[in-house]
Order: sequence, then C-alpha cells, then structure tokens
Amino acid sequence: MAAAAFERRVLRRAAEHHYLRVRLELPDGGARPNAAQFKQLVVTALRELHGEVGAALPVDVLTYEEKTLSAILRVISSGLVKLWSALTLLGFYQNRRCAFRVLQVKPCGAGWLPPDVSSGSKLGRLPKPTAFS
Amino acid sequence: MLPAQLGRAPRHLLVCERSHARHPRSRHAAHVRDHAYSCRVSFLIPECGVLPEVVKSTIADIGDYYLVRSLPVHELVTHEFIDAFVKKGSCYALSYKTKIDQDNTAALLPNGKLILSVDKGTYEELGLQGRPSRYSGKKVMRYIITIDLTDAGFQPESKKHNRVLWALKEKKPLEFDFLLAWYNTGAEGSTLMSYFSKNQIQALKPKITFSTLRDLQCPVLQSNDLQGKPEESCSTEELFEWLGAVLNQVSLDNKSSSFLSTYCCPEPNTVVEKAFLCTITGFIIPEKIIQLLEQLCSYFSEPKLAYWLTLTVHGFADSPVSWRESEHGFHKGGENLYNFVIFRNLDYWLQMAVGAHDDCPP
Amino acid sequence: MAGFADLNLPQGLDKKSLQSLLDTAAHLGYSAVALNHVIDFKEKKQEIAKPVSPSELFPSLPIVQGTSKRIKVLTRLTLIVSDPSHCNLLRSTSANIRLYDIIAVFPKTEKLFHIACTTLDVDLVCINVTEKLPFYFRRPPVNMAIDRGIYFELLYTPAIKDSTMRRYTISNAISLMQICKGKNIVISSAAERPLELRGPYDVANLGLLFGLSEGEAKAAVSTNCRAAMLHGETRKSACGVVYTVKKPRKVEEEETAVPACKKAKTQA
Repeated sequence: MAAAAFERRVLRRAAEHHYLRVRLELPDGGARPNAAQFKQLVVTALRELHGEVGAALPVDVLTYEEKTLSAILRVISSGLVKLWSALTLLGFYQNRRCAFRVLQVKPCGAGWLPPDVSSGSKLGRLPKPTAFS
Repeated sequence: MLPAQLGRAPRHLLVCERSHARHPRSRHAAHVRDHAYSCRVSFLIPECGVLPEVVKSTIADIGDYYLVRSLPVHELVTHEFIDAFVKKGSCYALSYKTKIDQDNTAALLPNGKLILSVDKGTYEELGLQGRPSRYSGKKVMRYIITIDLTDAGFQPESKKHNRVLWALKEKKPLEFDFLLAWYNTGAEGSTLMSYFSKNQIQALKPKITFSTLRDLQCPVLQSNDLQGKPEESCSTEELFEWLGAVLNQVSLDNKSSSFLSTYCCPEPNTVVEKAFLCTITGFIIPEKIIQLLEQLCSYFSEPKLAYWLTLTVHGFADSPVSWRESEHGFHKGGENLYNFVIFRNLDYWLQMAVGAHDDCPP
Repeated sequence: MAGFADLNLPQGLDKKSLQSLLDTAAHLGYSAVALNHVIDFKEKKQEIAKPVSPSELFPSLPIVQGTSKRIKVLTRLTLIVSDPSHCNLLRSTSANIRLYDIIAVFPKTEKLFHIACTTLDVDLVCINVTEKLPFYFRRPPVNMAIDRGIYFELLYTPAIKDSTMRRYTISNAISLMQICKGKNIVISSAAERPLELRGPYDVANLGLLFGLSEGEAKAAVSTNCRAAMLHGETRKSACGVVYTVKKPRKVEEEETAVPACKKAKTQA
C-alpha cells in the first residue's frame, strides 16, 4: 500500500460565499411571508439601500421555515456587507414594522452550526427564537 | 464617495492537507490533539444504515464533562489542584458564557498553560506579565496572560507562584463558571466531582443525535486530488460547502432558474440510498475525538460500499485559543473548525478553517 | 468590560415600552444602555430634572443574552442647543446636571458645533442625521474634540424609518468620516420600539456603510461607548477617576513576573 504523498494548500479568502442565519421579526398576528415572499422581501431590502445593482446581487434562500421566520441565506462574499446592511436597515414588511435579526455570519459552508448547538455548549450567541412585539 | 469596505468580506482561512492515516509522519492525531476546545463533533457515513458496535461504544464512552459555577481562578493554580489533575493527565478548563470579544476569559490547556484573556483594566489591576492581544487594534484594549503551571519555577512557595496566587486571590479576584474535563490513563486518584464537591459542580453528558439521510447526493472525490477535475471529481472547497449544506438540511437539487435558491450539489455526484449522520454536542476533549477517528478508520477494515466518510469538529467560538496556543478572536463568527475526509484506502483530507481573528492553523 | 452598549434609549416612553426595549437590548447582547433625557431649548423654558433612578424604575434588570450578567442602565442628558446662551447652563455647575452619567449636546449651528467641540464639558456631540447638514465639518474643532476625549454620536433608527433620512444619515456620516478619519464615533439607536433596535454586530456592519473600518465600526458600539462612559465619570467627579484598591503588602514587589504598566485608567 503506497502511502499518499503529503500535500498542503492554504486558501485565503477562499470562500466564494458567505452564509447568514437570519430571523425575521414581525408584530404578532400579522400575515407571515411564504418562502417566495420572503425572498422578495430580501430583494426589496437590497433594492431600497443599494438600488438595482443591489437587487441584482445573487442571494440564495437555502432554507426557510415559515413557522419561525428563520432562514439561511447565501451570498457571494463580495456582497456580504451589502446584504447585511440592507437587512439591518429594512424596517417594514407590508407597511408593518419588522426587523431582521442576523444570528450568524460564516464564511464557509461547514463552519455553520445548526442552532440546537446553543444548548449544552457555550455558544449562547444564538438568540433564542422568541418573538418580540 | 462610497466606502471601500462595501465589497470586501472579512478575511478567513481554509487549510487543506492530504496524507495517509497510517503514514508514520502523518500529523492527523497531532492536529486533533492541538485543538483543545471542541463543542460539536459530527460524522457522516454514506451507504451506511446501522453503525458498527465498536463505533457505537466509542460514542457512548465520549465522556462526561463538568460545569463548576463561580470558581475562583486562583483555585486552578493551587498545588493541590496542579498535582491532582494537571500533572496527572490532561486537564481541560474553559470559562463558560464569556465572550472573547467583550469579557474576561480563561482557559486551562492540557499542557498546563493557564491562559487569561483580559481587558485593559483587569490587566492593570492584576499586574501579571502578559502581551497585547493581536486583535485588539491600535489602541490595545485586551491582553493575554499565559501562566505555565508545570514550569519548574512555579513550585509551591516560590516567588512566582506566590505572586500569581496573590494577584488572582487578592489584587483582582477573578472567577468564572468553568467547563471542565479531565483525561487520565490511570484510573486511580481523585475525581473532579469530589475535588470540587464544595463548589457548585454539575456533571453533564454530551448530547448525541443520530439520523439517516435518504437519497443523498454526494460529491465524487479522488483522494489524491484536492483540487478536483471537471467531470472527474470535486474539490476540497466544494466538499466543505456541500457538507455545510448537508449538516443544515439544505435542499441540494435546485435548478439554476429557481427563484429561491440556486445551490446544488457539486458535480460530479452520485446519489446514495442512505447515509448515517451522528452529532455529538458538549465539551469534547481531543483524546476522545482521536479514539473516534481511529474507530472510523477501522470502519474500512471490512469491505464497505462507502468510498469515504467525514468527521467534522467545531471549536468553541469564544475560546481564547484555536490550535495550540494560537490566539483566537470572535470577529464576526468565531469559527474554528476542522473536517476529516477519510477514504476507503485510509488516505485522508484534513480541512482546517478559521476566521479573521486567528493565526493560520498549524 | 468593553461589552456592547447603546447609549441612546429615549427615556420619555412609558414604563412598559421602556421595559420591552430594555429586554430586547439585553436579548440582542447589549451589556449597557443609557436612558436619554432630551431638553430642547427652543421649546420654552426648560428645567433640568434629576435623572430617573434606573434601579427604582426597573427593580429587576434583564440578563444579557449568552452571559450571566444583568444589563447596566445609565442616565444621559442631551441638550439641543440652537443659541449660544443655551450653553450657559452647561458652564454653570448645576447640581442636577452633574447627576447624569453622560451628557450630550446637539449643536444646531456651526458656531455651536465649534463651541461644543472646543469648550463645553460634555461627553458626546450628536450629529444630525435627519436632515441635510446645515454646516460643514471643519478639521480644527473635530480634532480638538477628539483630543478632549469627546465622541460623536450617529443614530441609526431614523435610517430604518424613512428612506430620505436614510440618505441624510449616510451622507452626513460620510462627511464626518472624511474629517474625523473614523475616530471617536459612537453609533446608537434612539429606538422607540423593540423592532427598531438592531444587534451590535449588525450595527457594526452598518458602520462600514458610514465609512468606518471594521475595527472602528466595532469600537463604535463597544470600546468607544465605554470610553464615553468613563469620560462621563471623570466629568462627574471633575478631577479624574482614581480607583483605589485595598493592597495588602504581603509579597515582595521585585518578581520574575514584571508588573504591567500602571497607566491612568481614564485613558481607556
């Protein structure tokens, strides 16, 4: 059995994408967006702050859970700051107040921790999904 | 004028190594050993429905850890503690619910080094020698103090020991809730539970979950080709991203025209009927991860359908170190993790990833 | 100690709204907030009241998310000044003024901006983010303010509420950055509702939009806030903050472990 040759590669800024775990907060009792409306809201946020160039930024909604309004977004790394700031400054959904909470930002796919990790470990960085009015 | 930062993403590093698990100079175990604080271990075995018994028992034996409330740091530098634990095995301690970019943080490494990462005010009050944090900016707001508890000059009643004890006990008493774990080969001696019985101590078990993923698209990998080739095999970065998607239950079969998401499994790929995914969460020490890694290597000692399997280990985001004593910062995510891809022939890939406030992994 | 802080939560709200703001701030990871009492001299004669006592208002403070500490609540007074005479109050040693932890001034004219930066004994100078800048920032007063340890405050809530204000916020912030070079900036919310508050990392990311570097942006919600609080403490005691700690002399000083330099703490 021939031993494999040792090889090492160091990749700087290797990640083409960044990932954001987000949760949308809405006042109680209003309509909740479905997945398509959620994506539309993200695009709207980008357009409002960064115009058509922002709206054209490729963003993927990798997962979306309507019940908790939680999603994982993927964006090309050069668009991270734009997407993040657009979500932060979004204040309304269908003329009602809303807030995007960005729970995690990670450069690499596997770097990402599913939210259940917060229990038992000290990753208390993930706010629990409780709704605020 | 628009700020230049808008199009820039934070720095991060991904280091990929390729070697053979049985090669005499392979560093895989050393890399695991050097990464002291892990909060989550997951492994994924394609084409596997039921775990072999040996792997199951290794998981069951992954070990308890302890949470001690309000433990004064000076208790970790007494010679009763050093002689009973630090010198008699591998002792791990990490302050709990402390944020590395905001709070004072403490960690005890198995080599007997106690690391205190403290803000400027605390540093000045303590009066112990340290160095400025590398990630604190031009105006230094954070300092790192490293105390070698096993140093020859750190004998009981030595000047050095007395000074450290006095600083931590009287000048600036520091206390934290600590996560603790201890690994020793001999079974005798006292236990953490009895040693800290006067403190509020709690034994915790790692949380283990199993799941079977059906009809999973898996990338095709060539063990001798980290970079992959179009039409032949996928690259190590593609695998890393795919793994993130799998661990987060992201759907892999989107079309490029899809409105919601265009992510899809890298090409080429094969569909496996079922894959076994196990996740362990807790304060998991490297010795146990090495045992698990060995068991996963032995998985291939009998013929298996799987061509490779993966073992992913996440470090604590708020740990003051990543590998060895390399300073670790949170920046925006605090990621420090590694992933093994173990191939059927025991070639392996090791991927180590850190964020903006880290040294390059070893 | 250099946790995240939001130095501007309006004090004028009813107790229930304030409580929910406080809960949200703690939940988002802020370890300190300041309740802001605003006095606008344009609106008739205003008396400066004593600051509210946070401990009386909130018998039990919420725990900061992911920690075991409770959120810290400070008091802040903001004076909106549109005429030089309004500043007299600050020069007088009004007893009630000295009870506030932080004092901010919102100058409406260039002259008052100059006075605030160069002579007034304040901790924060508010920057207008809701309308077009009525004057240019000039280097001398801005540099003087930085030397005196005064911080400039930008608010982000107006930028969430209204797209015109969003434009002013960004453009005024960028104008300021060209002069102050990203130094001594504090970003606060002035949020009246939980849904207007944003998390500290989100606010730091917004700082990039305002032209701050990553380090400066994070400082704008953490270390700079702390420095402004310490500046306030110094002002309150009028002679610098000196912490005295009981120091039992049991151990000899000349050690192998060299004591760290003992600089004045107010420098932080």
